[in-house]
Amino acid sequence: MAGASRHERAWVRGARAGSAADVDALFRHHWPLAYRAAYLVVHDAAAAEDIAQEAFLAALRALDRFDRRRPFGPWLHRIVVNRAIDWARARTLRAEISDDGTLERAAARERPGAGDTDARALASGLAALSPEHRAVIVLRHLLDYTPGEIAELLELPRGTVNSRLRRGLDQLRATIGKELR
Amino acid sequence: MRLHDLLRETPIPGQEESRQRSLAVVRAAFAEREPVPRRTPYLKPALAFAILAALVAAAVSSPGRAVLGSLRKTVAGEKHAAPELFSLPSQGRLLVSSPHGSWVVQANGSRRNLGRYRDASWSPHGLYVVVTRANEVVAVDAKGNQRWALPRPHVRFARWGGSRIDTRVAYLTGSRLHVVAGDGTGDVDLCGEPAAARVAPVWQPGPVRIVAYAGTKGRVYLIDADRCSLFWRSAPYPRPEALRWSDDGRRLLLVTHDKIVVFGHARGTPLAVRFMRGVTDAAFAPRSHRLALVRRGEVLELDADRLRGRPGRIFVAPGRLGQLAWSPNGRWLLVTWPAADQFVFVRSARPHRLAAFSGITRQFGGGSFPTIGGWCCTSQ
Repeated sequence: MAGASRHERAWVRGARAGSAADVDALFRHHWPLAYRAAYLVVHDAAAAEDIAQEAFLAALRALDRFDRRRPFGPWLHRIVVNRAIDWARARTLRAEISDDGTLERAAARERPGAGDTDARALASGLAALSPEHRAVIVLRHLLDYTPGEIAELLELPRGTVNSRLRRGLDQLRATIGKELR
Repeated sequence: MRLHDLLRETPIPGQEESRQRSLAVVRAAFAEREPVPRRTPYLKPALAFAILAALVAAAVSSPGRAVLGSLRKTVAGEKHAAPELFSLPSQGRLLVSSPHGSWVVQANGSRRNLGRYRDASWSPHGLYVVVTRANEVVAVDAKGNQRWALPRPHVRFARWGGSRIDTRVAYLTGSRLHVVAGDGTGDVDLCGEPAAARVAPVWQPGPVRIVAYAGTKGRVYLIDADRCSLFWRSAPYPRPEALRWSDDGRRLLLVTHDKIVVFGHARGTPLAVRFMRGVTDAAFAPRSHRLALVRRGEVLELDADRLRGRPGRIFVAPGRLGQLAWSPNGRWLLVTWPAADQFVFVRSARPHRLAAFSGITRQFGGGSFPTIGGWCCTSQ
């Protein structure tokens, strides 16, 4: 981990100095998880691509103002998750207005059947949660942030993070029908 | 079940393609980024003070007045300009819009007022003209006879595309992109796509009904208007200003406030991006990928397939230039020069011969300097 963060600092320094290779390295290191986090919150591959890409571009644009002593990952994840929550909220509003059944269709598609894998069941369970609950679960269990770090990233009280985590996991467990660790 | 592993294993459709697209966009954006200048806090006030002092000196001293006088003479335009637009230097008909309406100018210089419209644009073969009023899209023939009208709020940028037998008109009503058939029927909000920026939508030349438009976030969307299917959308390029297709429909140009972006017709990943601040208009030369660009007081020439090449300079003028329009045969380029109240026609072959005409505002009814809606085909 220390090695990774040393590399990361070198990549950020290089990117600030204009090195395309270092930007590539930052992208290869951070994009897969950023994209996955966005996808798990919005449940739309095209939107996740946009969100991860725009977050990365925003981070690059702000690189000159970035405090090099801090890690790049949390900074990027904060942008990604907040944008993903905004996108998911906006989609919910649009669905209410247009009444096109998009969300219902997506949920029906992902409803677990006999042959579904655990991963598919999980996707279905996540789809049933609100974007805010999905976001804290993704930050905690995919990106491995502590509740305190999540509170800082999302600018929420720590108690709110804990309650969202607990309720989200309870609901997920009920939907999937299996114990989660 | 271990949640961490499951979250990492959940399959995501098209992840690798998505990664490649995003990497290409990030690389292009990084290559074109503007280096952040180190700011010197006292530089701006000092510069402002120096300019102010120079202006005061110019106003009160006789040498200064002489300099200002000579500058005014320079902006008076081309010296040997004809006093009227006696004729166009090439075949075709020019569409001009002024505060007094839209006009068709024939090759021999005769002009016809189509009516009190604005923002005129040719149909694909020049048989009709689509014009707008504040709350109306109107189709007229080249004599000004109205064919149909469609009332819609806050209408702008109506553009006509298609073949001789099947055409569509795209336009903006507010920030929504609408498409209506060439006979004025079947008006629809196009596929519920995101809101459009204040940039004219453009139809891909040819029979296929594909329209490109810029969203408010600067993304370019390429849509099959009949099937309502999105071919591609680009990454965001903030503050879009213009979109242009090449004649063969294989290159799409996006002009933003600080860059020019060239797309192929097949993908939303740009073929090339070039940082170029201050470009206000651009036009592909007919039957080529050669581009003419207006940047402040100069007209530049660039090959869209070699965007990083050194631009050639076609025309230079004091003050800002306006719009561009190629003649249908590609031999002449019309450059509008509002500050000098002139139309300047520049021959594209070297040496760049000029034909300039002054008094343009007066000839189109007075008020503000007119805009060009296109220099169209010779066929009637």
